[in-house]
Amino acid sequence: MPIIETFGLSKAFKDTVAVADLTLSVEKGEVLGFLGPNGAGKTTTIRMLAGMIAPTGGYAVVNGIRTDGNLEKLHEIIGLLTESPGFYENLTALVNLEYYAGFYPCIDAATQVEKYLRLVGLWEHREKRTGAYSKGMKQRLAIARALVHEPDVLFLDEPTAGLDPESAREVRGLIGRFSEEGRTIFLSTHNLNEAEQLCNRIAVINTRLLALDAPEQLRRRLFRRQVVVQLQKADNRVTAAVKRLAFVQELREDGVQLTVELTDPERNRPGLVRAIVEAGGEVIAVNEKQYPLEDVYLKLVHEEPGDDA
Amino acid sequence: MTPKRIRNIIIKEWRTLTGDATTFLLIGLVPFMILGEAIVAIILIANIGGEAMAANTFFQTAFEKLVAGIPGASGLGAVDQVRLLLLTQFNFFLLLIPTMIAIYSAAYSIVEEKVSHSLEPLLATPVRTWELMLGKALAGAIPALIMTWLCAAIALPIVAVLGWGNLLDYIIGANWFLNLFLLTPGIAVLSFLLGVIGSSRAKDFRNAQNLVLFIIFPIFALIAVQITGVIWFTPLYTLSLGIAILLIDMGVLRVAVRLFRRESILVRWR
Repeated sequence: MPIIETFGLSKAFKDTVAVADLTLSVEKGEVLGFLGPNGAGKTTTIRMLAGMIAPTGGYAVVNGIRTDGNLEKLHEIIGLLTESPGFYENLTALVNLEYYAGFYPCIDAATQVEKYLRLVGLWEHREKRTGAYSKGMKQRLAIARALVHEPDVLFLDEPTAGLDPESAREVRGLIGRFSEEGRTIFLSTHNLNEAEQLCNRIAVINTRLLALDAPEQLRRRLFRRQVVVQLQKADNRVTAAVKRLAFVQELREDGVQLTVELTDPERNRPGLVRAIVEAGGEVIAVNEKQYPLEDVYLKLVHEEPGDDA
Repeated sequence: MTPKRIRNIIIKEWRTLTGDATTFLLIGLVPFMILGEAIVAIILIANIGGEAMAANTFFQTAFEKLVAGIPGASGLGAVDQVRLLLLTQFNFFLLLIPTMIAIYSAAYSIVEEKVSHSLEPLLATPVRTWELMLGKALAGAIPALIMTWLCAAIALPIVAVLGWGNLLDYIIGANWFLNLFLLTPGIAVLSFLLGVIGSSRAKDFRNAQNLVLFIIFPIFALIAVQITGVIWFTPLYTLSLGIAILLIDMGVLRVAVRLFRRESILVRWR
């Protein structure tokens, strides 16, 4: 059952189109990675979904609530991690979090604040002014703020941007944990490894939606499947034998490594290995070629350029 | 939920205020400076230029209105009449306290949120715009109001110490109470609401202060007109004006909500 749905969602600022005709849906409990170059409309989309700005075309529904409708109800069920953490720097973390928690009905603010300060590892630092916090600590506090009212849906706008590797890893760990709890997460990020690690599906946007699928499906859609054979030593007889195989569509030789495109990788692979061995080749490893998500992303973004926003 | 949210905003604003020495000093010192200035002005005007003022035709209308409003004043000497005229305007002079504080602290209220990037997460909570605006305005208006009342209370023994105790009976009446407990709260809230509007429309701190000064200027005009005695406020007039100001407060709150454009604030402020 979709918990986030957009129908031709669009946003233009005067003559500049930031988001055009975005139609997608996110299932309950899913983590959707939202990728795109700078100015592609990621933050604008998140702001529209969080009811912060109104679309100029189309509409979006989050958990049955139109995002351009009842904002108060919408904000009770969503959590938003903004691009900049933004706290009252001369107030303590505890006071900051209590303040934000104080706007939500039906929650025990003190209990929730303690729960999430402990969860993000800041309980011991609760009496410290946020102005004295490191960037990583602020980001963890911002995550606690987004969760303090137990929202079903989380919008995270570049949660690890600008963090050192250790802090970024901690934040990713938290996101993984929230996903395991069954929360729906809409994750905007530039970090492709992070997206692959955390997300069930990836949406690539460049003003328009370029692709939306699971990372593996995107790879298969964009790149032909190839088998990489690692040999003990280069041998012309082996290469010739492989070329003669009817199911080999393309062969690329790179020293001791053969990259072979097969008609049907699953069925043809044993025949390929047999032919190599019969030709006197010694096989060290046979693997399917893995394209990093970065290749998928770059191919999508460069092949279907959208309007800059 | 609404009172809880407004209280939440007020408490947070006060916590921020107590952590900011400059604003804290401003709220603590400016009222006493205005009080001192008013007392000194009355002493100097009455003692040095009292008789000249009483004889000046420009002020005749004001003295006629004074005697008409306070019949017992006809038995006072010329200098005492001058003192009484000035003291009856004293509470109007104290209206400067909330307006002055508003120019400084209310001007920062929203700009500060923009600068610290705390506005977007705040607007992502279920808080309504009017709750935010009213909370911000009350957070400034309440301490300003308390300081105004404190100054008014301090002024009474000072008047007695200065040897003008005989005038207190004429001063403390319906008008005095209406002024302090109806008109002053109305003006305080109005000043801060206008300050918050200016702050929400401003690009930066300096722009906010200039904008707020410009918006609040008409309130200064009202105070100036009253201090010169051009208009004589009977209790009925003060009551009417107080009610009118409260109605204006409500109207200004609606305007503040309309002018608070969440979208343009978020999109334009980087």
